[in-house]
Amino acid sequence: MMRMRTARLGLLLFVLPSFAAQAARAQSIHLPPHEKVVLKNGLTVLLLEKHGVPIISFYGILKAGAAADPEGQEGLAAITAGLLRKGTESRTTQQFSADLDFIGGSFAADATADFTAISAECLSKDVAKGLDLFADALLHPTFPKDEVDKLLAQTLDAVKGAKDDPQQVLAPYYYAYLYSGRGYGRSEDGDEISLPKIQRAAVSRFYANYYAPGNMILAVAGDFQPADMKKRLADVFGGWLGKLTPALKIAATAPVKGKRLLLVDKPDATQTYFAFGNIGISVEDPDRVAIRVVNTVFGERFTSMLNEALRIESGLTYGAQAGFDARKLPGPFVIESFTKNETTTQAIDLALQVLAKLRKDGITAAQLASAKNYIKGQFPPEIETSGALARRIASDEFYGLDDSEVNQLEARVDAVTLETARQVIQKHYPSENLVFMLIGNASAIGPAVRKYAEKQDARKITEPGFWPAGK
Amino acid sequence: MKTRKQWIAAAMLCVCTGMSCVPAEAQEYAVATKTLKNGMKVLVQSDRSIPNVALYIFYRIGSRNEHPGTTGLSHFFEHMMFKGAKKYGPDELDKIFEANGGSTNAYTTQNVTVYQDWFPRAALPLTFDIEADRIQYLSFDPERIKSEREVVASERRLSVDNENIGALDEQLWATAFIAHPYQWPVVGWMSDIEHWTMEDLKHHFEMGYSPGNATMVVVGDVSADEVFQLCEKMIEPIPSHAPPPPVVTVEPEQMGERRLVLHKAAQLPLLMIGYHVPQSNNPDYYALNILRTVLFQGESSRMYQRLVDKDQIALGVNSSQQPAFDPTIAIVIAQVKQGADPGACEKAIYEELEKAKSAPISDKELEKAKNIRLVEFYKQMQTINGRANTIGTYEVFFGDYRKLFEAAKNYAAVTKEDVQRVARQYFGANNRTVATLVPDADEKGKP
Repeated sequence: MMRMRTARLGLLLFVLPSFAAQAARAQSIHLPPHEKVVLKNGLTVLLLEKHGVPIISFYGILKAGAAADPEGQEGLAAITAGLLRKGTESRTTQQFSADLDFIGGSFAADATADFTAISAECLSKDVAKGLDLFADALLHPTFPKDEVDKLLAQTLDAVKGAKDDPQQVLAPYYYAYLYSGRGYGRSEDGDEISLPKIQRAAVSRFYANYYAPGNMILAVAGDFQPADMKKRLADVFGGWLGKLTPALKIAATAPVKGKRLLLVDKPDATQTYFAFGNIGISVEDPDRVAIRVVNTVFGERFTSMLNEALRIESGLTYGAQAGFDARKLPGPFVIESFTKNETTTQAIDLALQVLAKLRKDGITAAQLASAKNYIKGQFPPEIETSGALARRIASDEFYGLDDSEVNQLEARVDAVTLETARQVIQKHYPSENLVFMLIGNASAIGPAVRKYAEKQDARKITEPGFWPAGK
Repeated sequence: MKTRKQWIAAAMLCVCTGMSCVPAEAQEYAVATKTLKNGMKVLVQSDRSIPNVALYIFYRIGSRNEHPGTTGLSHFFEHMMFKGAKKYGPDELDKIFEANGGSTNAYTTQNVTVYQDWFPRAALPLTFDIEADRIQYLSFDPERIKSEREVVASERRLSVDNENIGALDEQLWATAFIAHPYQWPVVGWMSDIEHWTMEDLKHHFEMGYSPGNATMVVVGDVSADEVFQLCEKMIEPIPSHAPPPPVVTVEPEQMGERRLVLHKAAQLPLLMIGYHVPQSNNPDYYALNILRTVLFQGESSRMYQRLVDKDQIALGVNSSQQPAFDPTIAIVIAQVKQGADPGACEKAIYEELEKAKSAPISDKELEKAKNIRLVEFYKQMQTINGRANTIGTYEVFFGDYRKLFEAAKNYAAVTKEDVQRVARQYFGANNRTVATLVPDADEKGKP
């Protein structure tokens, strides 16, 4: 059993599709050269050569994710993605798994709110088979009825099982409450209410509507020769027929006004898990680099103001952190931690004080310099593998960001001043408008936490779903 | 980062062996080694593909070196190693290291305590300064010990009390071992966490934190020469003292099945089965890994096909076996589906094990398992961090990092008959401990 010194909490933690450069060296970090090709059918292909380890990584972004789930059928995009490998025109799910495992390959497909990600990896010597499997799942799924039923039942159980571990469900409860069950507040994986309503026909319809070459970005990174890979991709995907896909209508949600608190009762909990914050920023927010710098000081790293106060100095918790989950539209901002029942209000009070201190005093010149070095020094391993590079260039393409996100990061980080830090703190860190979500033993902590908000909501963890907040 | 997308995966333990394994065609990475006069061995693998360095120090001390009353001390000590020494005072270590672009972490197992530093190459001298400071001059401030005790208690509540797999895993080890120290949890029993004394801590430090009891691995944008020079200057002068006394207790052979039930608030039942297997450096290690790969790894594995796909009685079924100095257990874990009987999962697992005992696996399965091991090796080799951890793990648990690169031929040598033999030898009823978590509201699984 491994015991990590720093906690990895249930929520987010990456600030943005990260940026940074390297510290302490003249030359700065750059993305390796890569190339963009748009096939005739509209498929956007990104190629990045990286040798050294004989691995090739495929990372596809389909521009429809959980946000495209029909009302009441939350989880449909994720279920559709999960079913891609569960039976194709030429392979049963068993055959697909046998072929994939035989080459030691991996395949994953899942939906985030903004998009569906479909990825695969194999050794370069097995590229023909690896690409064949990847394309087979993407282009020729048949969604056999029994496999649909099986995956739905497994996902439903997984949602229930996750509620045994509060850390795993902190995010869905908090998001649902923060966004009032709309937009990013809808469960990406579905829940006990929505999953039983999903039928095979809806899966087929989702696939027919959204899975199209013009709706996809495919990044390939690793140990290959570009000319050879282009030919292989053209052979495999050239025949994929283009079509129009429905436009996704999702509206940004304005930050919440005032305060409100949801207490999810888990009577056997020996500690309280809490999250609070408000709606934060989008990926394209012009303040994104400055926010990354400030949040490194405030809630991102081990010696952040939050972790220092709640863990290092007081021993109230194993870990406390804050993060902006930047998305296509403004995503959640959260401060989160956990502490034993008896110290629940002590820990939340302290977290609020740290937030108030940030807003009142800002950060110091020493903290600013430290955060800049930290971001630059820790960035290079983030784009070390072919898998990470494929994901990086695909998501930048999806979000409309260019290579300067990486290549200029060092300069942009260095350009952040105390004054810009002060401005982004005032603008992006909430003070009076806060949404609180707690999972814990309601009979032990309920009365004490009433002080945080006039508006109070309550649920039991055994109640199906994550929303609505109260009855 | 654990996101909600990992629900299903998180519901099971990984199949991993905790280290990577290599078959035939694996490439070798040049490693330079040096043993310092105080006994610390240093391994360096130069790789300039990114301007960063991963530095690991493995101390051969873990919960197996503890005693009733002080369980969890190794892990607590791991925390104290960040709480200040002589030059880098209380809570300064991380602050200074982060200000120089670095980050740190550590992990404790039953066998070792491992410190990890990740940093841009310019911070190399600073890293040595910090490591030399804390191995010699760790401070024992009563106030900091008090607050860190609370942090560890919170960690225990997080990973055991409020985490069903952690809770059942703890009970499984406590039942499978009646004599050997693997019986207590790495994090320690709560009453012990609350009662260690200053003397216990100081004794533990003197026992475990001697240079001769440690191995250092440095991978990344460095040369072996510059690392060795820093070692000679800053680490070599630190005197060594006696290593921890050998763990003499040998777990007696298990002569019959043991069972335990844990009643706990839960949505779904859990099943874990532990089988006694030899320590990592036993020659059967490779055949056992091949067997576990065939049975558990991937959706084409026999257990997944049977329990998840065909019978649909489990959400996932998996197996783990951590690196170990002493005979340990291989664990099978099944997340039982709602409404399914844990007993049915148990029966299906035994039937699949019987098949592996009564007939050899197929040629294709054997080849598949070797291919999976090869890919795992390369995945570990992709990052400087993965390489530092893997090289160190082989050096410490197999006695020589070169075993990492020899694993190729060791796996290639495994035959179908070897796999069948280890299935018969280790996966018998008398050798198993069966742990079931029964949800409070659902008494069906109660024997």
